[in-house]
Parts: sequence; C-alpha cells; structure tokens
Amino acid sequence: MPRVEAAEWVGGPPVRDSDAVAALIPMVRRIVAARVADVTAAEDLVQETLARVLAASGRVEPGMLEPYAIATARNVVATAWREQDRQRRNQHRVVDLTAPDLPEGGLLAEEERSAVAAALARLSERDRQALIAHEVSGRDTRSLAAELGSTAGAVAAQLHRARARLRVEYLLARDRTEPPTDRCRPVLFALSSGDRRRQREVDAGRHLLECDVCAALGQPLLERAPQRDDEVRIPIGGDADVVAARQAARELAGRLDCFSPTDLTLLATAVSEVTRNIVKFAGSGEVVVEVLDEPRRGVQVTARDAGPGIPDVERALQDGYSTYAGLGLGLPGARRLMDEFAIASEVGRGTTVTMTRWCGDR
Amino acid sequence: MTGPRLVSILRQGSYLIASIHTALDDTEMTAFQHDLVERIGRDRARGVVIDVAALDVLDSFASWTLRTIGEVARLRGAVTVVVGIQPEVAFAMVALGMDTGSVRTALDLEEGLAFLDRVVGPRRPATATRGGPA
Ligand SMILES: [Zn+2]
Repeated sequence: MPRVEAAEWVGGPPVRDSDAVAALIPMVRRIVAARVADVTAAEDLVQETLARVLAASGRVEPGMLEPYAIATARNVVATAWREQDRQRRNQHRVVDLTAPDLPEGGLLAEEERSAVAAALARLSERDRQALIAHEVSGRDTRSLAAELGSTAGAVAAQLHRARARLRVEYLLARDRTEPPTDRCRPVLFALSSGDRRRQREVDAGRHLLECDVCAALGQPLLERAPQRDDEVRIPIGGDADVVAARQAARELAGRLDCFSPTDLTLLATAVSEVTRNIVKFAGSGEVVVEVLDEPRRGVQVTARDAGPGIPDVERALQDGYSTYAGLGLGLPGARRLMDEFAIASEVGRGTTVTMTRWCGDR
Repeated sequence: MTGPRLVSILRQGSYLIASIHTALDDTEMTAFQHDLVERIGRDRARGVVIDVAALDVLDSFASWTLRTIGEVARLRGAVTVVVGIQPEVAFAMVALGMDTGSVRTALDLEEGLAFLDRVVGPRRPATATRGGPA
C-alpha cells in the first residue's frame, strides 16, 4: 500500500482527492492513537484508514469527507481488535454449541452464532438432530439410542463424526471460506475426527503442505483433536528441528520397550538424516513419528515436504549423491538404518519419505 | 550465548580438550568447528581431543564435521583424536557407512591423551604455557 504523505491543505476547488485526504492525516492519527497504544500497529491502521478514505473520496460529498474518515478510522480499529480477539479466542476452542454469552458484546456473539448456525445447516438432518439433542438438550447416548432404535455405541460414533464435521463447517463459516479444492473437506474431516487411517487414505499430510486454506484451518483442528500418545508430529523449519525430530522419535520408540539402545540410536540417526534433507532442500516440512501395531509392532517415520522434489530418486539413493557437504550419505544411509524405506517424490510438488523399524530381532 | 554452554574448549599444555556437552544442531556444530579451528591457531596447539560422549547421534553431518576439523587441524600442525563415541553410536555410524576418516579415535579422554603423548611427544608442563584462561 503506498504511504500517504502529509501535505498542506489547499482550500477551494479544484482540490485533488489525495490532497483533501492528506489533510485529514493529523485527525486520523489522533483518533487511532487514542485507541491503539502500539505505535507501529497504530500507524498501519492510520494508513489503512487513509487508503480506504482515498478510495472512497470520489463517491463522498466534499463536505462529508471528514466525518467519513472519522467513521472509517473507528471501524478499522474495531475490526483490528475483533480480528486479534477472535484469533486469541479460537486458539482454545473450535466450536462449542453451548457457548456462554460472550462479554465482548453483541456483534461478536452474533458473528459466533451465525457461524455455528451456518455450520449446523451443513450437517445432515440426522446428525444435526442427534447433536442438538445431545449437546444442547443434554440427552445421553443411551436414551438417544433407544429412541433411534440403535445402540449407545453407534450413537456415540455418530456423534463423534457429527462433531468432527461440525468443527470443519464451523471454521469454514467463521472464516467465510469456501475450500479451494474437492479434496479439502475430506482432508479437514479426517483431521477433525482424528481418524489416522482416513488421513492416510486422503493423504492429509501432503494436502496440508500444498493447500494454504487447509493448512490454516488444520491447525486448530489438530490442536483440538484428542491428544495421541502414540504419535508425535514435528513441524520442520530449521536446523534445531532436526535435533527435535530425532529426539522425539527416540523418545516415542523408547516407550515401546522393544528397542535396544542401539536400535534407538539407529532410528534417531535415520530420522536426523531424512529431516536434514527437508531443511536443506525444501526449507520446511514435517516429520510424523507413530507407533504401528499392524502387521507388527514398530515405529513408522514419515518425513514430508512441499519442496522442489527429487528428479532422480534412484540416483539419490546411491551413495555419494549429494549437492551439499555431508558426503551424500543422507538418504542411502537412512535406508540402511531402517527395516522399510520408501520415497515418493514429484518434481515441483515435494518429497515424502516413509520408513519403519520393527520391534524385535532383525 | 545464553543458557548452559553447549561446548567447552580447554587448554592443557600444548593440547586442547574440546568437549561437546549436548546434542548439537548443524549450525551449532559448524560454530564449534570454527571456534575449535580458531583456537588451534591461537593457542598453537599440537594435539586436540574432541570428546563426543554427550552427542546423541553422529550422523553424516556430524561425522563429516569431525573429519573436517581433523583435516584442518592436521594442516595447521595439530593431531586430532575423537574420544567417547558411545557403542550404539559407533554401531549406527558403521550401519550408516560413516567413519571419522583420517581422524583417530580413542575410547576415552585418558586414552586420547595417551595417544597424543605417543605421536606428538609428551605434554609440556602446564606452568610452561602462556596465554590467558582457556
Ligand atoms: Zn485444501
């Protein structure tokens, strides 16, 4: 946004719009400064106000420019507050049907209510009724099951799915966002329900690296999803995360009581190598470490990025292939340290390394 | 730097004893390399012991960094010995296909110093050294 410079007020027509707006700067500054203490933030809001007034100046009566600027400044400040507050509030909860009356005032509560209403409207009739009966009217699953001619377990599962769907629809409605691709809703739903098998089927991890909308919405969904003690997810953005990833893998695998100290060090070393590859070649990505029960007990590591991809995977798996110092032992070395090792890479889309170490003898 | 020290480099006679106290990331490892090489020149060290007992892994980058230190030190007239490689770390290095190249290794600090005494000649007594606190 071009900064609007202060200028002398020149009275009488013809006055260029920008001059008229520039003359409003001291007043706008006063209005914003009275409400926002942070100098940098205040200056940003002043600039945004002026840009809006400038854009509207052709449509506003000459005598109306000043009151219009005052109203705009107040609006811009209020929006900034609301935005800040909304982000803070939504860190903790994604959706709560029995939201208490919000002290922040009518507008906010209204916004919240309409997002919940829009989300509910997107559920199936059956899901909606079950949720409302359970969450708002306080009916338990047993009595709902009796009424629906179902079992308490089936009702609980239905409620779980309905809640997961509601959280997704709520976030979309709250942000007034329409998902950009057909894959978005299935991915978000799989995240929201914490269904790992489903997440794998829809390749949720990769989609989150590629889709900004889902990446933003996925964060609160993942935070809200029940904490798993058999999975750890480490966002990778730099050197220090290489250490964090290998230590997390060692810690999680160590809890299984089936790996020797040597096994754990082999695993940690392999994780170090594949994570470093993310940092070096893609800049960022994520590493997921999870406990497997099928077909055997073990630990699986998924390292994925949305980087440039590897043009020749076969060659990358040969010793000595490297474009950075480290003797090129990264990928082939990691493969030697693990029981299973697979790379999927697409140029321009990114790379996913999946590797597993099984419990017990090798 | 704030917090506990990640590494320490102490002078003992004509030797430097460098200890890594915790897992290091690549940036820290590279900083350690620069600091140590700089100290070798400044202190005119003839032998260097690097104690890696606290390192959780010696992956390709860490191994490569140790080799580089060893080779740079050699060009500057010092012999390097790496000590304290844990058995499981050693096993992983072998599986990875990594070693420390021309850099010698020894079981622990004592053996590392004994090795240096053999190849560099006995340490000069500490009282004969010059320079400030390490
Ligand atoms: Zn998406």
